[in-house]
Amino acid sequence: MTRIDATAPEVRRQEVDLDEFDATPIRTYWQLARQRFLRNRLAVAGLVVLAILIVGALLVPALTGDAWSRAALSKVNGAPEIGTGEAGELIFAPLGYSEIGQNVFARVAKATGTSLSIGFAAVLIVVVIGVTIGAMAGYFGGWIDNALMRLVDIVLSLPTLFIILALVSFWGGGSIWVIIIAIGITGWTTAARLVRAEFLRLREIDYVQAARALGASPVRIMIRHMLPPAMAPIIVAATLGVADSVVVEAALSFLGFGISQPEASLGNMLTEANTYFFRNPWLVVWPGVVLIAVVMSASFLGDGLRDALDPRQK
Amino acid sequence: MGGYAARRLMQAVPILAGVAVISFGLVHLAPGEPIDRFRTPTIRPEQLEGLIKLYGLDRPLIEQFWSWIATYVQVWRPEAWGYSFLDGQPVLHKIAERLPATLLLGGTALLVTMLVAIPLGILAAVKQYSLADRIITSLATVGYAIPAFLLGLYLLFFGGVVLGWFPLFGLESFGKEGDPLDMAWHLVLPVTSLSVQSIAGWSRYVRASMLEVLHQDFVRTAKAKGLPGRRVTYKHALRNALIPVITLVGLTIPTLLGGAAITEAIFSYPGVGQMGVEAVAQRDYPVVLAFVMIGGIGVILGNLFADMAYAVADPRIKLG
Repeated sequence: MTRIDATAPEVRRQEVDLDEFDATPIRTYWQLARQRFLRNRLAVAGLVVLAILIVGALLVPALTGDAWSRAALSKVNGAPEIGTGEAGELIFAPLGYSEIGQNVFARVAKATGTSLSIGFAAVLIVVVIGVTIGAMAGYFGGWIDNALMRLVDIVLSLPTLFIILALVSFWGGGSIWVIIIAIGITGWTTAARLVRAEFLRLREIDYVQAARALGASPVRIMIRHMLPPAMAPIIVAATLGVADSVVVEAALSFLGFGISQPEASLGNMLTEANTYFFRNPWLVVWPGVVLIAVVMSASFLGDGLRDALDPRQK
Repeated sequence: MGGYAARRLMQAVPILAGVAVISFGLVHLAPGEPIDRFRTPTIRPEQLEGLIKLYGLDRPLIEQFWSWIATYVQVWRPEAWGYSFLDGQPVLHKIAERLPATLLLGGTALLVTMLVAIPLGILAAVKQYSLADRIITSLATVGYAIPAFLLGLYLLFFGGVVLGWFPLFGLESFGKEGDPLDMAWHLVLPVTSLSVQSIAGWSRYVRASMLEVLHQDFVRTAKAKGLPGRRVTYKHALRNALIPVITLVGLTIPTLLGGAAITEAIFSYPGVGQMGVEAVAQRDYPVVLAFVMIGGIGVILGNLFADMAYAVADPRIKLG
């Protein structure tokens, strides 16, 4: 091997135009993904709407205290008002008051928070179970793969919504945790299949084989070497899963199996609106608008993330 | 084909067994006892014991499961699926009574979905990037984002309450039982709320499928040899584009059966789904078990139907 001449870079610098290289810097995968994502206007809009909903759900209850649950007899079905009360306190009720005098704006914000936290928590369970099962099936193959995929088939054959209904009804009427777990343990099949497919592909790739040859443990190979490149479809599925979970929770609470007064959820607000439709028809609109906004923005965001993170898949 | 179907049904047995284990666990591991609903202040202890003996609740869980599953497969006996806790009727009888209404609702929704979504998807694909395409695609995006139960609720309010055009509940008006026009009138809102989301999903799917086929070589060949454009599009391309739609039918059938539960509950529709929701609320365990099993059978049959119809429609697919 010849020794590298210390002056060589200087020589080369004269030959190539360095500015050309500066204009197109080497970009990482994530920089490229961000660039692709920001170019997708709908996806960015979805992200913004979702961010507004999250910030609103955190900020409004923090600023208005217990306005979301405080029932005021004098305000029953009251008109919207913004201003200061007798004691000089701030009143912010741009959506008026409910049938039992609760501030509808504060209540919608609180309900959005409840529904979104259920959505995120349930998706966390979905991802943990789905990734574990999919990774084991894809990595080990053979009878483990067979057994786990039969389990997926069984769970896929269950009438999911009905099972969630039964779990929530039998195990704990109105408990947020039971709802989260019920949605989580029934919804992981898609994530498991996606991860399995990715792992089946990655298992045969040279660098994974090399890691195995160097004596890395299966757990290390799966977490360190195979999970990061398999993240794109998981992130997309999780985004869409949040919306699905929010809808399931709303349907549960709407049917009276989920969260009930005085706690607020988009579903139980719709039930109340249903009951008092004739006296205050607007109540049916606001939780529905938020629900549709969540689903739509999550689906735009999910599509955008798919295009950004996994440009091969279109 | 027959052999394939038989083999697939054999493969379905362990899956159904798994569904049975899960539904059995769902009921038997639930807090409280199945006979709790009979514990009233007036019931005598020996009556309770009699009930425990009658339902075999004093035996080990495994033994209970085996005797349950043994009677469960004997569907030709009316008592095979047990008796409802609510009215003492055989569960099989109750389901048989309500299944036609659910099939009518689900079948109509499926038919409406196909009749609306397929032409829209084709139109959007053939006139890609045109105004029509953009309108259809945008509407599909919006329609897909409206949860079915929310749409049902809104339709009930605006179509039923505010405008008063449609009935608010049930399948038949009092005194007009069996009148098909009256039934159709009752079906409009539930069918709409069940169909909108699937129309949105299907039209996007048909559009994508049609676009893919339109860009294939054989379509260019057909055009190049001088066939009229319409003939190429609606005969050569369409036939191939519709093959994947068959899979959608198979996947949609079970969701129309099980997913209709909430729609049926909203419209107080006398179907299996509403009965299932009620059974959960009332802890009518035999009916809950039956509903889960029916759901499982529906998914398996739907998948089997999809795979077999796919092979019939596309001779390139070999079943094995």
